[in-house]
This record gives sequence, C-alpha cells and structure tokens, in this order.
Amino acid sequence: MVSPTLALFVRSKGPDEFWRKRRIFKLAAHFRGRKRNCYSVAVRYVHRALVYATKGRKLKKMDMAELWNKRVQAGCEQYGITLETFKETLSRNNILLNKKALADLAIWEPKSFESLVKLSRERAVVDSLPGLKERSVMNQVYGLANLKLD
Amino acid sequence: MAFLAKGLLSVARQPCLVNNLTHTFRALSLAPRLQQQQKPTLVNAAVVANKSEKVSSELEQKECQDVFDKVNQQLDERKEGRLFAIVHLCGKQFKITAGDIILVEGYWPPTIGDEIRLEKVLLAGAKDFTLIGRPILPAGLVNVKATIIEKTLTHTKTHFKKKRRKQYMRINFQRSPNTMIRINSIEVEQNVGGPAQVISEPRIF
Repeated sequence: MVSPTLALFVRSKGPDEFWRKRRIFKLAAHFRGRKRNCYSVAVRYVHRALVYATKGRKLKKMDMAELWNKRVQAGCEQYGITLETFKETLSRNNILLNKKALADLAIWEPKSFESLVKLSRERAVVDSLPGLKERSVMNQVYGLANLKLD
Repeated sequence: MAFLAKGLLSVARQPCLVNNLTHTFRALSLAPRLQQQQKPTLVNAAVVANKSEKVSSELEQKECQDVFDKVNQQLDERKEGRLFAIVHLCGKQFKITAGDIILVEGYWPPTIGDEIRLEKVLLAGAKDFTLIGRPILPAGLVNVKATIIEKTLTHTKTHFKKKRRKQYMRINFQRSPNTMIRINSIEVEQNVGGPAQVISEPRIF
C-alpha cells in the first residue's frame, strides 16, 4: 500500500466524488437554475446559505427583541407615556417583567397593561421624572402608601 | 405656599428623601458622633409620611380595602373565570393559561411525568383583576401546576463558518435538549390583601 506524505494526505479528499457531490446537491435541491444542477456553482451557494443560516439564528433573536420593544412602545404611547419612563418606573417599582411579557400583555391583556401603565405613571409623578407633570384625571391609583416606595 | 406644600408632600412620600433630610439634620445637630450612629429606620420615615397625609391615606386605605373585598368576593364565589399568569422559568418569562404547552430550551433536569409547581409567578390575572408581584407574588398565593410531557432534542443546527480566499472553513452540528410542559391548572389559593404571613423558611430559587 502506498502511504502518502503528510501534505498529500491533507489534500486528499474524503469520500468518493459521487457522495461528496451528492451531499451538496441535497442541500441545493430547492435552488433554481444552475445553482441546483451544476456542482461548482451549487457548492458556492450552499456555503453561502449555510453561513446565512448560522448568522440568522442570532439575528432572529435580535429581531424579536426589537419587535417586542416596538410593541411595548406602541402600547405606552396609547397612554401618553414614553417607553423609557415606563421601563424606568417599573424597575423602580420592582416589577421585573421583561420585554416579551410586556408585549404579550400589551396585545392580549390590555386591561392588565393599562393598570401597569397607571402604576408607572403615578410613580413617575411621585418621583418627579421628566416628561410627566401631572397625573391624568382618569388615573385612579389607590394604596400607594402600601407600596412602600423606596 | 401651595407649591411648597406640594414639594414637601412629594418629599415625604419618598422615604429615601426623608432619610436624606434626617441625615442633614443629624449633621447640623450638636450631639456627639457616637450617638448619631443609630440609623433612622424606614419605619420612622413611613410614620412621618403617614402623619403628613393621614386624611388622604385613610381614604386611600378604604378604597384599597374596597378593591380587595371585591376581588375576594369574586374568588369566594368562584366567578373569577379562567386565569392567566406570567411565570419565570429557566431564565425566561412565559404568559400561560391552563391547558397551554410551553417549550423549555436547553438542559433542564426534570423528567417525563414529573408534576411540578411553578413558584416564580410574576403576575396573575383574571377577567376583572390583576395581581402584580414585586417582583414575584407571595408564596402560596397563586398555585400553578404543570406536568412534563416530552423531552426531545431540537433539529440539527448546522454551525458553518467560512472566510473567502483565506482557506478557512469550519462546520459543526449541534442539537440541544427541549422540554415540553403542559400547564394543568392556575388557581388563586388565598384571599388577597390579607395580613402578610410570616414565612418560616426562606425561599430558594
């Protein structure tokens, strides 16, 4: 048996040509035109697609975070309060709901979300945060003394 | 004058600011430093705050009690309807209701068939009321029961890196565990607004 030198061993390709190409063609099966049928073209596009898929997993998470932010922001603006004030006052009140939970509430549980907004509005006025001068007339929040503001 | 009164009120409502005030007074006083070491407690501050607005706080207390009574009455009559809750589980928050299936990603020890109670309830709500935890509701107030129904692996994720014209290409495959949980029931166990129970053992999370 002929044993190749190290350089040649590294250069030698793994499985048989047919199987090596078939692996790529399987991934390219849903491409269009020569990207599907022609190996040298297909392999480039398969590699590119795999890189996109790898990067996309991270981008998806970032996209979702952005979407939740937008949704909560829209919910806040309904009640005339900014997202920053809302988040700040919630954390001051020690309510630690995250963006995803708040967005879910804003969409599916509008009354609960409204009560959260009222609470944060009240806190913003008590702490004299910028942007909010007065509590709204409709805003009835009772029992702030029980909250033990800190 | 009205403006001043309003300012004072807002100061009195914030114990930290009251503390600041008392600190400044201590600095002004002539007592020896050793005597000054005892800290003014938060309770004192609360008393100050209560005195300054006793009338309004009494009214507020009554309104609070009314709200609590309404909620409790609804709970007693079992007319609260279907509850939802936001629970914290494995570093994520889920909005759940009875009958839901949620997916926990990554390694998580419980096995199939385990019946568990989700204890970190951040928020619970019904048709007419919402209970908001700061940050979580007191132990035993809301009972969320769940069952582990499936443990699987994710589909194979390909981790592929390539740099053009640099002879650099890496490929890895990974599958991480997934757990499915069925939420069996969400119930409010106690009356709300009652005196806070003394918790004998600290909760460990």
